[in-house]
Amino acid sequence: MRLAPSAALLTGLAIPLILNPLNAQDSESTSVGGYGEVHYTNATGPNTPGIVNIRRFVLYLAHTFSEKLAVRSELELEDAKIEGGEAGGEVALEQLYLDYLISPAFSMRAGLVLPPVGIVNEIHEPPTFNGVDRPTFDQVVIPTTWREIGVGAVGAIPGSAGLSYRLYLMNGLKAAGFTAASGIRGGRQEGKEASFANPSVTGRLEWARPGLRLGGSFWYGGSANQDSLLGTGAFDNAVALVSADARYDVGPFMFRGVVAHISVADADAIDAVYATQVGSRIAGGYIEAAYNVLSALAPASAQRLNAFLRYENFDTQAGVPAGVAKDETLARRITTFGLSYKPIYNVVFKGDYQLQRNKAGFGEGELLALGVGYQF
Amino acid sequence: MRGERVPFGIAAHGRVWAGALLAGALTLSLSPLTSHLSPFYLSPLVAQSAPPAKVAKSVERIFGPGIQVDTLKVDTASVLRVSKGGTLLGFARVRNVKGKDQPITYLVAIDSRDALKDVDVLVYREPYGGEVAYEPWRKQFRGKTTTAPLVVGKDIRNISGATISSHSVTLGVRQTLAELAAWHAAGKIK
Repeated sequence: MRLAPSAALLTGLAIPLILNPLNAQDSESTSVGGYGEVHYTNATGPNTPGIVNIRRFVLYLAHTFSEKLAVRSELELEDAKIEGGEAGGEVALEQLYLDYLISPAFSMRAGLVLPPVGIVNEIHEPPTFNGVDRPTFDQVVIPTTWREIGVGAVGAIPGSAGLSYRLYLMNGLKAAGFTAASGIRGGRQEGKEASFANPSVTGRLEWARPGLRLGGSFWYGGSANQDSLLGTGAFDNAVALVSADARYDVGPFMFRGVVAHISVADADAIDAVYATQVGSRIAGGYIEAAYNVLSALAPASAQRLNAFLRYENFDTQAGVPAGVAKDETLARRITTFGLSYKPIYNVVFKGDYQLQRNKAGFGEGELLALGVGYQF
Repeated sequence: MRGERVPFGIAAHGRVWAGALLAGALTLSLSPLTSHLSPFYLSPLVAQSAPPAKVAKSVERIFGPGIQVDTLKVDTASVLRVSKGGTLLGFARVRNVKGKDQPITYLVAIDSRDALKDVDVLVYREPYGGEVAYEPWRKQFRGKTTTAPLVVGKDIRNISGATISSHSVTLGVRQTLAELAAWHAAGKIK
């Protein structure tokens, strides 16, 4: 070990840092950020006028107490306002957690957190996905924005150059909210006096390198909520979700795909007790391809005009318990195509056309959507 | 101007309220602009830095053992001059860019001909986007000069899920490289 040259190096570097009146490691700071999206949607058919809506206004507030401790929060307002007696509108905390960075391999996190399932649940800002509204799969199969209260670990696996994980223990879902059309979405508790009768485990392992990110996620926990008619065990009416996703970018092309499979144990009991028709299995996925048209029209530009095409195929009643009639309109095939114009990577102007089809061929429609979104 | 952000509701009375709110509003209204035009922490109060040992280790890894490092000053900026046996090897500079809510401290090293020798992420403070610190992403910068676009999506590949850090660090490297090359050409560092 050569001490002298390193010591000289250190001294040479330390002197300006000591003389410079900057506070290095432990300065506190508060950070404000957010995202928002405004939508115009127009469904085909009579009696469906276009609707314009401030879909989301989200404030992101974070405070770092030191290099190791930070609190991060996200507060959301949907549909511009809430007025008593009117439908729509919601004010909700989407995230609120403390991060304690113990090492790059292990940060402890506690609070209202996002189950790390799929792509969109953790990264849902408008400039990060194509299409005006989030994929329907990411609404009724993986129920974004899914947030529950829990504690867990986050980190990068040392020496792996790209492997990272998240693993949490959270409150569970409530079977009382499950439905045929929206699967487990209604079972989310979202941090509001949530019942901890069914502690659930959720986690994700992902691997990233330039141009590629692969991930696998799971959720496992009961949903009976100690209902005497369903089960008082912690893992009764277990919801078991597994999913895999990939994002691949090469040159002007961007691809992404997600698949998920959810099983709801003893769905027949849930359907009997709550007079619903939730499936015993919910499954499907989507695949999307996009091409930056400006790479050909204006190669010197850093702006992007992504032309995209997405195909979703999922069924919230992929499996039904005995005694429940399968509703074939829930086996959905949704094709969305459109453009996303990004003058900078944080701002997007979107337009798309969506063909909503299903296996029954009934209740199908089409939707035109335009939107503006930002994040910072 | 993050360090000078006035926290909401901290002032107590009348004119102090108004003054604090006005200062806060001004700071907030300016910061989104400045944070896009210049990701550097302009405030001297909360500029983050890396431990000197980390900087030394990084410089040694990039330029090799047995080097001599001197600190040059260009106005208030610090530039490290790396030489060996009297011969100039290159320069290095430690800067910050804003990640999602925390600064990313990085080092840009150029050789004597103003080409990028390497980029190092010295301190990454956030739970997401840390893949920019790894070799597969950083090595894209090696050998590039100020003629290169140094733009994510052009000559620098993005990391999906780490878009903010990819863009921020790339912008920071581009600006730091331009700065060092300009100073070198003007003889402010030699």
